Amino acid sequence: MSEPTPVLTSPGHAAEESKFQLFVQVAMILAVITGIEIITVYLPFSYAVLFTVLVAFSAVKFLLVIFIFMHLRWDRPLCTIIFFIGLVLGGGTMWALLTLFGADASKPLTAMAEVARTVLAG
Amino acid sequence: MSNAATGAIDHHFDPTTSTGIPNKKLLMWMFLASDCMFFGCLISTHLIYRLHPPPGTPSAKSVFSIELTSFSTFILLMSSLMMALAVNSIQKGNLKTLRSSLLTTILFGSIFLGCQVFEFNNFVFEKHLTITNSILGTTFFTLTGTHGCHVAVGVFWLTLMYVRSFQPKDTTADRSWFVRNLVHIVACLGTILLGMMLVLKLVRSLQGAPSFGAGVGLWLKDYWIALIGIAVTGTLMRILARPSGAVAFDEHNAIDVEMMGLYWHFVDIVWIVIFTAVYLLEYI
Repeated sequence: MSEPTPVLTSPGHAAEESKFQLFVQVAMILAVITGIEIITVYLPFSYAVLFTVLVAFSAVKFLLVIFIFMHLRWDRPLCTIIFFIGLVLGGGTMWALLTLFGADASKPLTAMAEVARTVLAG
Repeated sequence: MSNAATGAIDHHFDPTTSTGIPNKKLLMWMFLASDCMFFGCLISTHLIYRLHPPPGTPSAKSVFSIELTSFSTFILLMSSLMMALAVNSIQKGNLKTLRSSLLTTILFGSIFLGCQVFEFNNFVFEKHLTITNSILGTTFFTLTGTHGCHVAVGVFWLTLMYVRSFQPKDTTADRSWFVRNLVHIVACLGTILLGMMLVLKLVRSLQGAPSFGAGVGLWLKDYWIALIGIAVTGTLMRILARPSGAVAFDEHNAIDVEMMGLYWHFVDIVWIVIFTAVYLLEYI
């Protein structure tokens, strides 16, 4: 028995067509954001402003890819939960390490020696 | 209208599992979650050493090339689009579009890898930044090299999936299919590697030559054997991409393509983070 021929005007077909358009639109948005990111680094604003803007752009790109390209938007919530467990653990580890090693007490001895030399010379 | 009524497969629900998610997909999401932690540690290590660079560490800004990295980022984003289209087409049972989308994704992945090889060569031989001579080199090459390995694995997986789409339905009637697919894989990989090598050598020749014509002439003289090689592997690919009968690859295999797609998109999102954290932050 032959497979049923898909009807071009079916709701499923329309949904797939719109998904195709959505993917292309998302890719264009990602490309534009990347372009803006590159321009942003040359703008004469403070480090804090530029840092925040770049991290925000990066987060938007990240979320667009995982929810649209990786289908998390249409998938069961368990997939999102599993991925975010790994993401939160990885991100939390990053934050903890950067906070620990960013503290003054964590400065390596080589850096401290440099500071001491500068103070003594001054 | 229900899926049973339309005869379509619901790619986001599997009634045979207790979670409603196909087991393969669940496995891939768990792997990606663990890979998040893996890359989180690598990125942290790089950033921590950037916080306190030891004396003598070269400035990352003087080493990096924002133009090349931006180009490779754009290419990887477009490869993600092609991968999404490949998944979309196999879910509709459109084999022809699947194959062309997979081949484009392979091409974009290879261009990204080529850019990385060019960048690493430039860093080592011109900027004298190696994996052992500074902390910046160690953390940078470990992080971006690991990501590059992920991309290379992805390109290999894509190649296997592309060749898999030619497997005949009746393997007992066509006993040579295994050898034919094996030759097909070798031809695809040969074309990718030779193509990458030829483009990189052409760029090098053009950089070192006084004029465009002289560079191309030198390149043709040195790499004519590789050009014949790529012509042979490319022709083999074209010949083997003509299945004689029905193939055992349709929308029921969509879950395999989707799983591979998840991996490929993950490689893309890791690069999104690396591009900002490792490259762009050095410029502000």
